[in-house]
Amino acid sequence: MKIKDIIRGPLGLAITMVMICGFIFPVVVTGVGQGAFNYEANGSLATLSNTTVGSYLVGQSTDSPYLFHIRADSASGIDPDITVANASMQAHRIHNETGISMAYFNRQINNDTKFTMFFFGTGYVNALTLNLHLIRHYHKSISQYGRMYRNVTAS
Amino acid sequence: MIGLFILLFILLGVIVLILGWILSSYLLNVYENEKSTWDMFILPVEKLIYRVLGVDTTRQMSWKEYFLALFFFTGFAAILAYLVLVFQGYLPLNPMRFHNLNWSLALNTVLSFSSNTNLQHYGGGSTLSYFSQMMAIQFLQFISAADGVVVALAIFRGFAGKKNGNDGIGNFYFDFVRTITRVLIPLSFVSAIILIALGVPQSLSGYEVVRTFTGAFQTIKVGPIASMQSIMQIGTNGGGYFGSNNYTPFENPSPLTDFMQMGMMMLIPTAMPFLFGRMLRRRNEGRTVLIASYGLYAIDLAIAFVPLTVISAGMEVRFGGPAAVFYTVTTTAFTTGSVNAALAGMHPLVVLAAFLGMMIQATPGGIGVGAMYMLMYMVITVFIVGLMAGRTPEYLGAKITEGDVKLAVIAFLAHPILILVPTLIAYGIGAVHGIGIGTGPKGFTQILYEYTSAAANNGSDFLGSTGNTVYFNVSTGIVMWIGRFTPIAIMLAIAGRMHGRKRSREVALRTDNFIFPSILIVSIFILAVLTFFPFLAIGPILMHLEGIKSVL
Repeated sequence: MKIKDIIRGPLGLAITMVMICGFIFPVVVTGVGQGAFNYEANGSLATLSNTTVGSYLVGQSTDSPYLFHIRADSASGIDPDITVANASMQAHRIHNETGISMAYFNRQINNDTKFTMFFFGTGYVNALTLNLHLIRHYHKSISQYGRMYRNVTAS
Repeated sequence: MIGLFILLFILLGVIVLILGWILSSYLLNVYENEKSTWDMFILPVEKLIYRVLGVDTTRQMSWKEYFLALFFFTGFAAILAYLVLVFQGYLPLNPMRFHNLNWSLALNTVLSFSSNTNLQHYGGGSTLSYFSQMMAIQFLQFISAADGVVVALAIFRGFAGKKNGNDGIGNFYFDFVRTITRVLIPLSFVSAIILIALGVPQSLSGYEVVRTFTGAFQTIKVGPIASMQSIMQIGTNGGGYFGSNNYTPFENPSPLTDFMQMGMMMLIPTAMPFLFGRMLRRRNEGRTVLIASYGLYAIDLAIAFVPLTVISAGMEVRFGGPAAVFYTVTTTAFTTGSVNAALAGMHPLVVLAAFLGMMIQATPGGIGVGAMYMLMYMVITVFIVGLMAGRTPEYLGAKITEGDVKLAVIAFLAHPILILVPTLIAYGIGAVHGIGIGTGPKGFTQILYEYTSAAANNGSDFLGSTGNTVYFNVSTGIVMWIGRFTPIAIMLAIAGRMHGRKRSREVALRTDNFIFPSILIVSIFILAVLTFFPFLAIGPILMHLEGIKSVL
């Protein structure tokens, strides 16, 4: 093997590939993704009164007694979902604090439930979805909890 | 509920087998240079690349030339990526202004990704710029996957011998460029777009800081995630965009993406045995390889599901326990190494199954190299069976010589040596104690796992950024590269020896029936268990016997 075979071919291939795989590919995927699925490509952001308040795929930790909490022991630390059982338990707490009826919570949790095996398995709900519904639905009566929903009252 | 999940998983397996079979027919056309409708777009690009490199792709290479071209190319690629990482602070696309990586972490990272391992001693979301994620990480994920595919091709041709216009073991540049342009880029592109549609972000604008209802600030870490997620699974790489890998919702948002990504990592390793059969023009020989590797995979899964209390902690609600176990076994059986739940929360028997996948490496193993390891076991098994039956060992009509068997055994033994020696050294010089890990079965399991994962080019681990010390960075880096290129060189040498060998028409030992795969499975199990049992015994097996439920 000549030195040329060791340098030109392998080094040339490395430089060509860093351009194709490391630059052109991700840039083209970004272009197509941003064009075709803009909402998902930018992180499935959640808005309230035209203000971005988070992402449906990044759990938010809060200790507000008027909101649904995400779990503290989760693998990623930002698991956005809670089990239906957990959600119902927390609904009781919010009901006791605010007086919002359990019928509302049961209906809302039921509407937003997804399953670990598509149609079967453990039911789970996105905590941010529940919180957003809660705030939108009780927008008029939230002034008394205003301190907790600062973003909404400010807008 | 586990029963239902098993049914779903079998369904996934059937889909993967069908898609793998279809893909193998496409791959045959790609590598046998058949005409394709894409030629008018791709051929000019490929010809331009060949001209820039100054290579003649019609020339057959010897196994040494093939290996050296692959080795030097991968080396240059690693150097380019190293430069990107240690200078990322001065380079563009760094909206979060991350600093340059230190030398040992950068070295570990490029040795890890260029060897298809993807062991990560850093958390990507808080360490790497977009530029580094693309030009260092995703780049190496593509080329290491293509390395695996072309190695398998050359070895298949060597075993096939001089038939069907198969004049040699092939030309590295022809195989490599086509693998990128016609296989990995199209497959990754389609899966990346589907993943974006299902919620995986793909953006080059910086992290967004938002204000939550309660007035707190939260950073939403987006980036070129989907483009990485696609090649990371298709190429059995496994290194995630974020430190918490595939349990980060942005990498794996739903049960659907979870299933899809398991299918993605299984696809090419499943297509390879079919391709082998097609290249030999003897499909039953491909079937033998496939049955043996899927048989081992089934045994692996069975061990993991012995404790029905599958998981104790550290899992995401949207996947649940059974999915986490399936994912862990699959990711180690196919040596990908991405994880959808924290390994630390897994039952010791699940960890044991994960060990077996990485120790055998052909269950079905990583992209390309899984089939390579199966052929290594094939040579050893044919020899053993030949001895027992008192016949000349033969595979595919070619004699298996003493030299072939010696080489295959060296390739096999490289693996345990690379795992066990550095594990002992790590304890001996106090490097383990230095990162706060003990000497009990839990601690030993973590360190043994680290080197097993490195040597098997898997990349799943317990340590994560705890392992970011000079000793662990350098030692695992060396283990990953030797673990990658020693068996590749040896198996290419065997393929080179086999290629020109005379083929007899008489069949001394049938390998294309349904009995031989079971002999192969038993022989692989005996080899692996005899080699690794003492170490597994004082690690996960002892944990299980002591009633320890997880490493946590």
